[in-house]
Amino acid sequence: MGGSNKPELIKDGKRLDGRTPDMLRDIKIEVGVVKNAVGSAYIEWGNNKIIAGVYGPKEALPKHVQDPERAIIKCRYAMSPFSSLEEHGRSGPNRRSIEISKVTKEVFENVILLDRFPGAEIDLFVDVLQADGGTRAAGITAASVALAASGIPMTDIPYAVSVGKVGDMLILDLNKIEDNYSDADMPVAIGPRTGDIMLLQMDGNLSRDEIKKGMEMVKKSGEYISKLQKDALKLSYERILEKYK
Amino acid sequence: MQRIVVPGEKIHDTQIRIDNTITDRNGTYSCILGYFDDERKVLTPLEGLWNPRPGDTVIGVVEEDRGTTLTINLNAPYKGLALTKFLEAEISANDIIVANVKVLEKGGTIVLLKPTPLRGGKLMSIKPSRIPRIIGKNSTMIKQITDATATSVIIGLNGLIWMKGGDIDLATQAILKVGEEAHTTGLTERIKTMLEQGRNNKVQ
Repeated sequence: MGGSNKPELIKDGKRLDGRTPDMLRDIKIEVGVVKNAVGSAYIEWGNNKIIAGVYGPKEALPKHVQDPERAIIKCRYAMSPFSSLEEHGRSGPNRRSIEISKVTKEVFENVILLDRFPGAEIDLFVDVLQADGGTRAAGITAASVALAASGIPMTDIPYAVSVGKVGDMLILDLNKIEDNYSDADMPVAIGPRTGDIMLLQMDGNLSRDEIKKGMEMVKKSGEYISKLQKDALKLSYERILEKYK
Repeated sequence: MQRIVVPGEKIHDTQIRIDNTITDRNGTYSCILGYFDDERKVLTPLEGLWNPRPGDTVIGVVEEDRGTTLTINLNAPYKGLALTKFLEAEISANDIIVANVKVLEKGGTIVLLKPTPLRGGKLMSIKPSRIPRIIGKNSTMIKQITDATATSVIIGLNGLIWMKGGDIDLATQAILKVGEEAHTTGLTERIKTMLEQGRNNKVQ
């Protein structure tokens, strides 16, 4: 939250990187980047660079973690040691990465048809190569594409994006410096088919009206993110279709 | 018209019952990455694992001989199991076998019937979702490949294919091509041309 030497985050209605308050950073999604994985995706979200990989479903081990009714998801979010300038970039599990692994896992427990694979496990890896704020949102967006590409049956492809507040102004998709000095930060994950909220965390304070307005900003940007996810999934197959038209 | 659909994409405005879909008041939605045929109302998966059903022919590799049972790696979420007292041939660890699925037990073990060892030859793996296309309607596609290359081919529905004799390289190439282009039309013709060209190159 606000430090003593807080930079001016909004100047003449524009943010430090020149975006308007409701503007996303550039997003690029690519599918099938890890050949050994069952499904994988790479996302470039502004300066964030993230790879997500999916393995399984396979027999859940050790046996005592098996659920005889449904599959379990094991999720590991990790930042590379070189991903960030600050202490976030330590490798190995820490308080923050354990938390993000947990919330990511819970997003996908809502959409994957886990009862199709009783006793099995689905491994989901989200690795941050370069971080610039909003990696949990970008990681969830990439992981849902990787899961869909792996052919695991799921009811929706969730996307995630964060919304925050600087002074009185709500801003969408915070980068690192905004994340560090803003008055509030709220990452949200939504399933676009039903509009269900699958992740909602908040750091700082937002009023009821601000949350409502923030959610509208998220949903509006979500149409665009969702389209990018679907286009990325279809691209490789459509390329082959085009070839033989 | 065929189109590629992703999970959560609407495929029909009313509720229709198709595999791998969910319905709500507004229509029917896909649960998988696949291609949907609007006229025939068929949703074919493009990715995904083999879904075991009794009677399926599968190919596996024996992992362990436990005396009374054999555990078999089937390239699936669950292990295969065969009882040694019903064996008709001698099978030991690391052998490749072909067998039929007898039953899928609740705990997730796939019980196999009549495991037969496959000696020699070559084993290849391919995405299980592409296997129906490799077999083709009334086995036309695989027959075309075996006739042209004189290779004997056994296909496991779990995505493993065993081949022996004949022009194995050409057969492998043809099968890989079918797997890659499974969602396109006119594939049989293209494979036919490819096989003819492959054979002509060999003669020269």
